[in-house]
Amino acid sequence: MDRRGFSNRLGLRWARLIPLLALSGCSTRAFWLFHPRGAVAAAEFHVMLLDVGIMLAIVLTAGLMALVFLYRYRKPRRQAYDPTFVKSNRIEVLVWGVPLLTVGVLAYFSYQAVFATNPYHPKAITRYEKTEARKGMAVGPAGALRPAITVPGKKPVHVDVITTDWQWLFIYPHRHIASLNKLVVPVGTPVDFRLTSATVVNDFFIPKLVGEIDVMPGMRTKQAMIVSKPGVYSGYSADYSGGGFSWMEFVTKVVTAGQYRRWTHRMAHARRSLTDTTFNRIAAPTINLAHTPKAFAHVQPGLFRHVVQRVMQGKVYATPTAMTENMKKPRGVRVIH
Amino acid sequence: MFVHLQGPWNPLTGRLAWSDIPYRNAIVDGAFAFVVIGALVILTWITRKRLWGYLWREWITTVDHKKIGVMYTLLGLVMLFRGFVDAVMMRTQQVLAVGPHSPGFLGALHGYLTPYHFGQIYSAHGTLMILFAITPILQGLMNAIVPLQVGARDMAFPYLNALGFWLTAAGASLLMLALFVGDFSHAGWIGLIPLTELPYSPGVGVDYWMWAVQIGGVGTTLASINIIATIVKMRAPGMTWGRLPIFSWTALSTSVVGISAFPVLAAALALLGLDRYFGTHFFTAGMGGNLMLYTNFFWIWGHPEVYFVVLPAFGIISEVVPTFSEKPLFGYATMAAASVAIAGFSWMVWLHHFFTMGAGPGVNAFFGIASMLVGIPTGVKVFNWTFTLYKGRIRFESPMMWAVSAFALLLVGGLTGMMLAFPAIDFTVHNSVFLVAHFHSMLLLIGFAALGGISYWFPKIFGFRLNETLGRRAFAFFAGGTFMVFVPMYMLGFMGMTRRLDYIAHPQWLPLLIAEEVGIGLYVVSVYYVAKQFYVSIRDRARSRFAGDVWGTSRSLEWLTYSPVPFYNYAVLPHVNSRDEWAWRRSHGVASRRPDHYEDIHLPRNSAVPVILGALATILGFGLTWRIWWMTDAAFAGIVMAVIVRAFVRNTSWTLTAEEVERLEQGFEDVPPTQTPADHALGGAVVLETADNPP
Repeated sequence: MDRRGFSNRLGLRWARLIPLLALSGCSTRAFWLFHPRGAVAAAEFHVMLLDVGIMLAIVLTAGLMALVFLYRYRKPRRQAYDPTFVKSNRIEVLVWGVPLLTVGVLAYFSYQAVFATNPYHPKAITRYEKTEARKGMAVGPAGALRPAITVPGKKPVHVDVITTDWQWLFIYPHRHIASLNKLVVPVGTPVDFRLTSATVVNDFFIPKLVGEIDVMPGMRTKQAMIVSKPGVYSGYSADYSGGGFSWMEFVTKVVTAGQYRRWTHRMAHARRSLTDTTFNRIAAPTINLAHTPKAFAHVQPGLFRHVVQRVMQGKVYATPTAMTENMKKPRGVRVIH
Repeated sequence: MFVHLQGPWNPLTGRLAWSDIPYRNAIVDGAFAFVVIGALVILTWITRKRLWGYLWREWITTVDHKKIGVMYTLLGLVMLFRGFVDAVMMRTQQVLAVGPHSPGFLGALHGYLTPYHFGQIYSAHGTLMILFAITPILQGLMNAIVPLQVGARDMAFPYLNALGFWLTAAGASLLMLALFVGDFSHAGWIGLIPLTELPYSPGVGVDYWMWAVQIGGVGTTLASINIIATIVKMRAPGMTWGRLPIFSWTALSTSVVGISAFPVLAAALALLGLDRYFGTHFFTAGMGGNLMLYTNFFWIWGHPEVYFVVLPAFGIISEVVPTFSEKPLFGYATMAAASVAIAGFSWMVWLHHFFTMGAGPGVNAFFGIASMLVGIPTGVKVFNWTFTLYKGRIRFESPMMWAVSAFALLLVGGLTGMMLAFPAIDFTVHNSVFLVAHFHSMLLLIGFAALGGISYWFPKIFGFRLNETLGRRAFAFFAGGTFMVFVPMYMLGFMGMTRRLDYIAHPQWLPLLIAEEVGIGLYVVSVYYVAKQFYVSIRDRARSRFAGDVWGTSRSLEWLTYSPVPFYNYAVLPHVNSRDEWAWRRSHGVASRRPDHYEDIHLPRNSAVPVILGALATILGFGLTWRIWWMTDAAFAGIVMAVIVRAFVRNTSWTLTAEEVERLEQGFEDVPPTQTPADHALGGAVVLETADNPP
């Protein structure tokens, strides 16, 4: 598509966005963090509500007290002026004690939440699966036959994530398929991610589904999620990684188990294969303006590990100077329209 | 050459070539024209008024803590303006570049800034605002006020004080050079690693950033040493620790943080320099390097740096609130304790800047709870200020308005800070604009307090007031702008918007981005009123002169001397009887500023060495950035020589005789009068010193 041709229709394009103004005023749909669709994101949201609730009690008290005092004791009123009121042990105990107690309570909840949302082993997912299993037991006779506690979770889907400058590569190691800039996962199934970067640090973030985790070169981090509702979700890098960072988005499609199976079969027949050489081509600096997805079959086994090891051995995918110094349009890099 | 450099290099000009001057970029051209025209106007004015000699004698070579403080503050305000222009540019880019169909101007695909240009702007904004705007403004206030508050004649090391300032100025100059020669870092003020490594930042931008911060950091470390020495060793008789004003307590805490934290930054940047110049692998991803080591180093400095700037701001609020409540500060002892406690906690929370790195839950829980502990002394401060208001007689003059708003921002920033201290919550907003809004709440709290501090102490230093009407207008638009920019920004954080985007892929964020742009417009109006306030106040200074205590209800020792403050501060070092000495003297009827006898005063002599060292440091940084080795060698040799030469100067002080002091003191009226005889471009203290230099 020719991007330059739009300038004459510019006014019209902008006018379309105006209804959004009204929309954002009366709906919280746009507030992605308030509508978590995954157990981990939900746990994070709930502890946020709790924290804000407890903190507001103190912050509002302090704010209201200040407002009342500012109003009551403003100069012309000359009410109950007492410059000797500078010390009160009772108040001192309160002003140290109340924050201390609050921090104590919050610390307890924070500690719980850290384990619930620990990216390497989120208890929120285990808990979610147990609840789901118990629900299944209550409604269906088939469920009643199984004791809920011992039900093992569904077999998790493994996804290896590699970020390059500036794209996302999702490898499904058990199925030897890979998908560029598009993540497809089944609903209600735990997804285990292993993440690394071929170049600089990125941050893996799908606001409605899972919190951020750093993606670091020469290192491996982990993340886990379970999604409660099928749909299409936005994911992107949250940590600045250079010129193509703003376009570093990927689509997350959450589908039913059947759809997921069909998708993997389709992917297995993709024309492209992913070897070391192909990967090096992908990893060369590329700005992906249209978030174009690509499918790969026959992924070289152990590619993730290979990428990590090679970066550890000193492999870099250098950014050309022409690109960093030139303030005009990015040159010296591939741009995918 | 130990490393592979992209692009040409020659021994004479290093990496520098004509093509490195971005004269074809309209934005840089505009900025250049603005700076050049501004500089020409100022230089012409100075020349026409024949002020060069005066400037050189009275300001550039000065070792007087008040003048250095004024220069620090001025430097900070100028840099604050440049950082603000960066902010305007970023907000405008984000409003223009929304969705794939948004238009592009000036060669950019969307909006008017190309990605790397945007990257440089956000990096410059952060570096400028934190290190070269807020830090110098607070350093300036501490420099000018702390010696007065503790009853000293100057800083413990006046020469070192000047050197610290000129090194900070050298760092700022490098930042200004980066705007017009070559380009600046795009890797953020924190130096995102390994983006700052040579393969990913092959240009000179990161080098500019690295040397500017390094040189400025040395200046700040020296300033911290000086303030500690001054407070510990130079207090007037009777100024016990229990009587030390809270602002000085916070200055002391902050300086302890400064000397312990800045060396870590210096080491981290030095190692990064080795990576970039000698090809070592301290922080690279491969070859045994550890990039998280840099991140740890940076934040081991970076978090204390946050408290380094917030503590003086708390100190200012603690001075302003009692003055305008006409009441002593509530809970003095716990306020001092809370300041020290905040400084202490600042060392043990750095990991909360990267909860998302994948550390175990135990590590995250520890640092999360440690971060919450900071909330305890901060909460104590909040409540103590509130109880200071209780049963007071509150006047809403502009310093009080700034202070009260800072208090409100602290509540908002504290609430959101407690959210970010939860690793579980941090995961969802870690690199989002929610975080950006949080730390701007905190830094604007400091900004509000600093502006309040300037309007509070400006009359002390210069002897005339800032225009109150214009000050209120500046305040109103500043507060409105803060609300309009940062409330939408918090909301955008909940919408999932991440930071540092030069292109917005999600059009649903546009309405709130427009709201932020409106807020930026309010800030622009506020900047206009701040500038107008300074202009009008200086123009009409004869009408707003006063001799002593402009607010009538000031409390601490600095108001005991005349305003403008004579260059020797106190004719006779005061004997301190009470915690709020000036208030005590007022209420005991001994508020006369005139001592019963005079004595000889021993004073430091001006020196040109600090400014020369500053200039040489700028040249050194420039040479290092462009790898012009003859230039670095020459500058370094010059620095060593200057230091040696200075070491042999014996004549570094002079004595002001008692008769001289007495004669000078006659020039001041003791009772608050309508006019003082001193009248000069920037206040009377200046003129007195010109007239009475030793023969």
